Amino acid sequence: MFFRMIKGAFTRQWKKMLMIALTIALGASLATAMLNVMMDVGDKVNQELKTYGANINVVPKTSSVVDNLYEVEEGEDANTAYLLESELGNIKTIFWAFNIVDFAPFISTSAELSSGEEVKINGTWFNHHMDLPTGESLDTGIQNLRTWWDVTDGSWLNEQQAGSENSVMVGSVLAERAGIKAGDTINVNAGGKDYSLTVAGIYSSGDDADEQIYGIMDMVQEMADKDGYLSNIEVSAITTPDNELVIKAAKDPGSLTISQYETWYCTAYVSSICYQIQEVITDSVASPVRQVADSEGAILEKTELLMLLITVLSLVGSALGITNLVTASVMERSNEIGLLKAVGARDSAISGLVLTEIVITGIFGAVIGYFAGFGFAQIIGHTVFGSAIEMKPFVIPIVAVLVVIVTLAGSIPAIRMLLRLRPAEVLHGR
Amino acid sequence: MTKRKMFIRMITASLTRRRSRMLVALLAIAVGATILSGLVTIYYDVPRQMGAQFRNYGANMIFTSAESDKDFSRDNIEEAAAVISSGDMVGMTPYRYETVRIHEQPIVAAGMDVEGAKITSPYWHVEGEWPSSPNEALVGEEVAALLGLSTGDTFNALYTPREDEETEEDVLNMGVDMTVSGILNTGGSEEEYVYMSMEDLESIVGGDPRFDLVELSVSASQEKLTSYVDTISGGDFGVSAKLVKRVTQSESTVLTKLQALVFLVTAVVLILTMICVATTMTAVVTERRKEIGLRKALGASDKSIIKEFMGEGLLLGGIGGIIGAVLGFLLAQFVSTRVFSSSIAFQPLILPATIIISILVTGISCFLPVRSAIEVDPALVLKGE
Repeated sequence: MFFRMIKGAFTRQWKKMLMIALTIALGASLATAMLNVMMDVGDKVNQELKTYGANINVVPKTSSVVDNLYEVEEGEDANTAYLLESELGNIKTIFWAFNIVDFAPFISTSAELSSGEEVKINGTWFNHHMDLPTGESLDTGIQNLRTWWDVTDGSWLNEQQAGSENSVMVGSVLAERAGIKAGDTINVNAGGKDYSLTVAGIYSSGDDADEQIYGIMDMVQEMADKDGYLSNIEVSAITTPDNELVIKAAKDPGSLTISQYETWYCTAYVSSICYQIQEVITDSVASPVRQVADSEGAILEKTELLMLLITVLSLVGSALGITNLVTASVMERSNEIGLLKAVGARDSAISGLVLTEIVITGIFGAVIGYFAGFGFAQIIGHTVFGSAIEMKPFVIPIVAVLVVIVTLAGSIPAIRMLLRLRPAEVLHGR
Repeated sequence: MTKRKMFIRMITASLTRRRSRMLVALLAIAVGATILSGLVTIYYDVPRQMGAQFRNYGANMIFTSAESDKDFSRDNIEEAAAVISSGDMVGMTPYRYETVRIHEQPIVAAGMDVEGAKITSPYWHVEGEWPSSPNEALVGEEVAALLGLSTGDTFNALYTPREDEETEEDVLNMGVDMTVSGILNTGGSEEEYVYMSMEDLESIVGGDPRFDLVELSVSASQEKLTSYVDTISGGDFGVSAKLVKRVTQSESTVLTKLQALVFLVTAVVLILTMICVATTMTAVVTERRKEIGLRKALGASDKSIIKEFMGEGLLLGGIGGIIGAVLGFLLAQFVSTRVFSSSIAFQPLILPATIIISILVTGISCFLPVRSAIEVDPALVLKGE
């Protein structure tokens, strides 16, 4: 009889049930979408913040201070320490290798233009292809690390193109002064030898680099007579904002307990990534670029908190809305409940009946809602970040629990109120 | 009794007698309106609040002298800076760079406005203190390592004038004793300099005050920044303004995405909330089909029934909208103080917009079920079919 009544409710009152199911589906889709977006927003925004460039700079341990300050005086003896090019691949083998988005090595030397002007020429990777010891491969270089460069003439230097060995990119200020255009061939003298270079593009960067030339690593190493050596590496890594543990570790990693040390080592703090890079690159010092690392942390924290509060807010809102609707639809059934009481049904039987109906409807709605929410989350991910939002499996139980709580909270007070009514009054229509 | 009086009486009676149902409906509308006004307020304020966070990246505009061989004075700077509205200006720090000798090593010393630098370079990590009294200096970490200096140490800074420069003999020979107030760590080239107040640098170097460049931190959109730069460089200030491309370009990219994110989230939440309000109102009205049938049987015209129900709905929508608009602002205020620890800007337009939208939504969601109810034959409705 119980099942027959339930079945009856769904077949005969399907319109009402559908409405409840739809409302619950709406709420569940909202919860699914918001929770998933909220949990993924940290990673997504972190990716976006990578446009600020490298947040870790790796230099040789004994790098001389004088070199950077007196760029003009830079000669063969000024800079004494170098990093080894052969160790570069190691960066992608550290514990947090997956978090390292891009990196590029640098070496610089000075060269003389045909006009007699002395300029700084930097060797680096533009879009270098690299096969890793792990079997993976990646393309990395300054094309990703200098997103703010505006190529005003020509195009980015393509390293993988044959015949690009002697190509360079020239800063806009220098190019204007020396009358260099994309496609030109310029003659320079470096380390006592003459080179003729093809200009692939002119860039405007808004800083010192506008006065410099960027060329391919091997060529500049040859000019500087430093085959296989690097002066520094810029690394762009996705990091977790700093907390107290990091401050403690920064003072002295030795002061941490073993478990604290493990937590620190196994979290993507900028300091632990620096530490791990130092472990794999001989005689190096990896230090966070404070301007980038600190600001990223602050912005990330604010965005996550903002999304968290908006999520909580909309969840509370939709929960109230659904509770409301469920209450309204249960109260609507006063006639039916009165009749049941009049023919002698016990309170527990009536509550059981109504609750079962609502819960079945709720589950039905929640399933639809979950998939609709999945769709919403992907729309947000693709429109805003141009990539899919990762669906976290533990959102499912959270949504399920929320739906059950909300439907019960909506129906129980209404049922209790209806049970208190006297059947005669209800049936009489008052 | 006039018609109008009866109308008002019927509406108020229906609201007071069916108190619990009406409360349910009112609650739904108020919650919807709260979310609407709260989220929209947050959405409008996000660029401003987030923009302030992005100022953590430090200066995004630089002033240099318009002609490289000509110095620019404090007057030039102040006139040029006046172009930027005071609401957008976050901070401004003039710098002067000179090479001095410390422990017989040539080191670049920078004179600056200490209070300004705290704002334009918020990412500087200072171990120890910022210079606060005369003859105190902030020493970059690499310089400190090179010279073996630590906080509290003193050093002597000497200046060797350029050949064409005339400086008093005593400054040249004696130098000035400075105390290290703190060690600067930035991970960038700042670690290779010694920073001190402008007055201290002038006492070491002697001669007239001058500036090499000014760093400015301006909180404004990309277009506004560009127009500031054009006005200043184009004007007759003797100053050439440049944007720090790396900071401004990236900021506008990230900020655009963030605003789009909040916009989409707001849109999704709003659509769902509206549907929720609409379904609740529909349920509340559908319940009263019997009442509609009875009125029709008594001879009420369709028009008067619709008018009455709409009157009720619009009244509910209005009250709910007002409650929601106020609550929503408080809510946005709460979020803003929690996240950005600053109060939110009040958008006067959102208040009436929230009320109008909630009246519209309630009105539409009342109208549809009422219309379908009056189409039905009263006899059928009353019989309960």
